[in-house]
Amino acid sequence: MTDIDEAMLIAWVDGELDEVTRRRVDRAVTEDPALAQRLETHRRLRARLSGHYAPVAAEPVPPTMRSLLEDSAKLVPFARPAPRWRNWSIGGAIAASLVLGLGIGRISDGPAGPVTVSNGVMVAQGQLASALNSQLASAQQEGPVRIGFSFHRKGGGWCRSFEGSTLSGVACRRGEDWQVEQLIPGTGPATDYRQASSTDDRITATVEALIEGAPADAAEEAAAKAKGWR
Amino acid sequence: MSFESDLLAILPRLRRFAASLSRDRADGDDLCQAALEKALRARDQWQPGTRLDSWMYRIMRNVWIDEGRSRQRAARTFAPEEAGEHVGHAGDQDVEAHVMLSDVDRAMHALPDEQREAIALVLVEGLSYKEAAEVLGIPMGTLTSRLVRGRGALIELLGEAA
Repeated sequence: MTDIDEAMLIAWVDGELDEVTRRRVDRAVTEDPALAQRLETHRRLRARLSGHYAPVAAEPVPPTMRSLLEDSAKLVPFARPAPRWRNWSIGGAIAASLVLGLGIGRISDGPAGPVTVSNGVMVAQGQLASALNSQLASAQQEGPVRIGFSFHRKGGGWCRSFEGSTLSGVACRRGEDWQVEQLIPGTGPATDYRQASSTDDRITATVEALIEGAPADAAEEAAAKAKGWR
Repeated sequence: MSFESDLLAILPRLRRFAASLSRDRADGDDLCQAALEKALRARDQWQPGTRLDSWMYRIMRNVWIDEGRSRQRAARTFAPEEAGEHVGHAGDQDVEAHVMLSDVDRAMHALPDEQREAIALVLVEGLSYKEAAEVLGIPMGTLTSRLVRGRGALIELLGEAA
């Protein structure tokens, strides 16, 4: 009998397993025909469901919905609010002042905080810097900081997104430092669902703006760490 | 790109999500239309730069839950305790106006709402667990256990061959 449970099988089908666990499931499946059968059942179920509803998304949009949107666009052409979070440097500054105001972390001076200002740019230090240096997104451990993605930025160099209860954001390697490209309040100890989700959306937007290609997989990430993220 | 043209671009996916939540395509389009109207009224609450699709999935799901509650109230008022075959199909008077239901539609409809919405977001819409958990406002562990239970029920309803 294996220790592969139903949740792991469906996570395999949903593409949610990390590399190590996926290999473990693969190995167990080759050794256990009953397990292979269950995996196949889950794979077929997902294919059947997505195949069943796929034609809806391929149909033309119904005229009533299209005209609802077109009429609305004519009525309120300038109703879209200014893109406050589009520019991450401004977003970071606003977030930094929020953090200061709440007294959670010190941004600009003192050795204690997670972020300091060096040569006019925000740089990670302390626990945040060591998490960025050593933690792997593919092998997450318990700690104050969680790594989201490791990825190559356009123009070269490594970047990593991070989430913590106090601060979340994105940092990119610059020499020996991690330059903080985006800084927003963290998820908080008692997670307010709305805040947590909008935080993630903002980080996603930053990652999408910076990223070249796809996020690093576990092997690429480990190799980059071994080379000191250079 | 205006707010409306952004909405138009993701509308095919929103209709698909609505269809997977609803009993049939006609109900799905009613739900989708109601969600669009609500989104247009609430447009100021959307933060540009954040994901419009996640925001719309949340709105649609809220409309669906609200409508489900009023449908249940109506069912309790007008159709007390009758017709075992109609369990879970509140308001079936108009069933003939709707297209024939497929096995998948029927199986999805038999799921508890909380399992159906999780299955719809992950298996039909292809969201990651993290994205789906955020749309539903639940922890990842809760999402995965709903996915396990929902899938078990679907496999039972649709037969082992799924």
